[in-house]
Amino acid sequence: MTHAVATATRLPRLPIGQRAFWLIAPALVLIGVFLVLPYLNIVVMSLREPAVGAPYGAGLTIGNYTRILGDGYFLGVLADTLLLGFTTTVICLLLGYPVAYHLARTTSRYQSLLYVLVLSPLLVGVVVRSFGWLILLSGNGVVNRALLDLGLLETGLQLINNRLGVTIALVHVFLPFMILPLIGVIQSIDPVLETAGQSLGASRLMVFWRLVLPLSWPGIQAGSILVFVLTLSAYVTPVMLGGAQMKTMSVLVVQNLIDNFQWPTGAALALILSACGLVAVAVYARLTSLLMKGVQ
Amino acid sequence: MSGAPRRRSGVGRLLATLWILAVYVFLMLPIVMIVLMSLNAGEILAFPPQGLSLRWFVALFNNEAFMRAIGTSVLVAGIAMLVSTVVGTAAALYVVRHAGRLREGLRLVLLLPLMLPEILTAIALLFFLYATGIGTRTMFGLVVGHILVTLPYVFTNVASSLFNYDASIEQAARSLGATPAVTFRRVTLPLIKPGIITGALFAFVISFDLFNMSLLLKGIGMTTLPLQLFDYLRWDFDPTAAAVSTVSILLTFGVVFWIDRVVGLRSLRFG
Repeated sequence: MTHAVATATRLPRLPIGQRAFWLIAPALVLIGVFLVLPYLNIVVMSLREPAVGAPYGAGLTIGNYTRILGDGYFLGVLADTLLLGFTTTVICLLLGYPVAYHLARTTSRYQSLLYVLVLSPLLVGVVVRSFGWLILLSGNGVVNRALLDLGLLETGLQLINNRLGVTIALVHVFLPFMILPLIGVIQSIDPVLETAGQSLGASRLMVFWRLVLPLSWPGIQAGSILVFVLTLSAYVTPVMLGGAQMKTMSVLVVQNLIDNFQWPTGAALALILSACGLVAVAVYARLTSLLMKGVQ
Repeated sequence: MSGAPRRRSGVGRLLATLWILAVYVFLMLPIVMIVLMSLNAGEILAFPPQGLSLRWFVALFNNEAFMRAIGTSVLVAGIAMLVSTVVGTAAALYVVRHAGRLREGLRLVLLLPLMLPEILTAIALLFFLYATGIGTRTMFGLVVGHILVTLPYVFTNVASSLFNYDASIEQAARSLGATPAVTFRRVTLPLIKPGIITGALFAFVISFDLFNMSLLLKGIGMTTLPLQLFDYLRWDFDPTAAAVSTVSILLTFGVVFWIDRVVGLRSLRFG
């Protein structure tokens, strides 16, 4: 015993902090130079004067913001985008909760396979997924063909180039982000509590409503915020399934950067969207935290 | 008997099962549809397929633009994977073993690229590359963007495998006279190998499928597979697109099943 203590004190102290710092230095430099600085630079860019023949001018102005906030078209697209985020989140929650509950509680030997099924949309590229929905939903697509051939419809349904198509595809793309946090939280709820509630005479529905659902709030909160934010910043899916009819803010931003070559406008649009997203998330987090406190 | 949990009524159970089943079908539908379409013997993307054939895979193989895009994607994903794996593993070692009080803060910094929207990061990088004169003429900006996005995946997977065993094993090796380098190679590395492999493979798959970053940061004449597919679909809507999508799906699922066999999917970390 004394021997062990003696060797321990004789050893050079393991480098805590400074000496091992070079391990994390490359990562910090990478993130500092190519993430933090560029983000700060967006703010500067949004204050640049627009220019002709170059992406931006030299002077500084707040004109980009006043122009966007006074433009009904931009505000309409902003409201549309926020609404899209809201509907996508709600549908993801309704579809995802039962699946998460089942996956968290199942003892099936196919659990691993089911887990892959839930993860699969996440792992397949977003262009490929949106293409899959184009095959299904386009005018002459699988869904319309099936409905027409079965004689359920006279004329095909308009399923793409509108809000419906974008919402369906976005729900598909982001559903795993709702399900994964929910699985974690539901797994941490002891099943004994549910059995106890039932043995005390509560119906299954009552146990769910009064016990399981309130205890799931942290997962619901995390999943909803994730899906909402991801929807606001989605670009590929709205472009491929929304066409010219259903424009979102991200689509407008990229349009201003690549097609119109108006970088200051694009930067200001991106920051306005981010600010609105942050406010929405903050309000939601505050409300759900109050709800969670009410539970305790 | 009164203490036994009541069975859910037959109807409720059936409805719940149907609901869950429907969600699984919804999740798999587009992917299954693409694979079916790629095996279609007919001229157009029609369902049901008019016979089975591999002709569209042959068409893909003869499509120079797609083959070049696949080459670019593999190159970019390969570089991003290598750099992320080295940088991310080193960062995980520091955060888990040496960071002390700074641990939680540094973890958040490392996860930052994952928490910020990819499209916004791509925009920020585009402005930055232009402002610093680096520009998008070379592959540099594109590769840096891909490294940023893949870094957190390597970091979380390695960090969680480091958490899973006790640092005292390393201290034991040190106290027996092993140098830090030997300790790392003979003790730490073998123990965290599953985490590193998972993180690296995941980084490759994520980079291979990345779209927004590539859209904004690609140089002139440079194109990755998702970009090429996106452009192709604007003008053509034929089974070649389904064939190339199937190749990309098979690649991803191959990696996932491999991870599942080697280390188990439950160990996968998304953040």
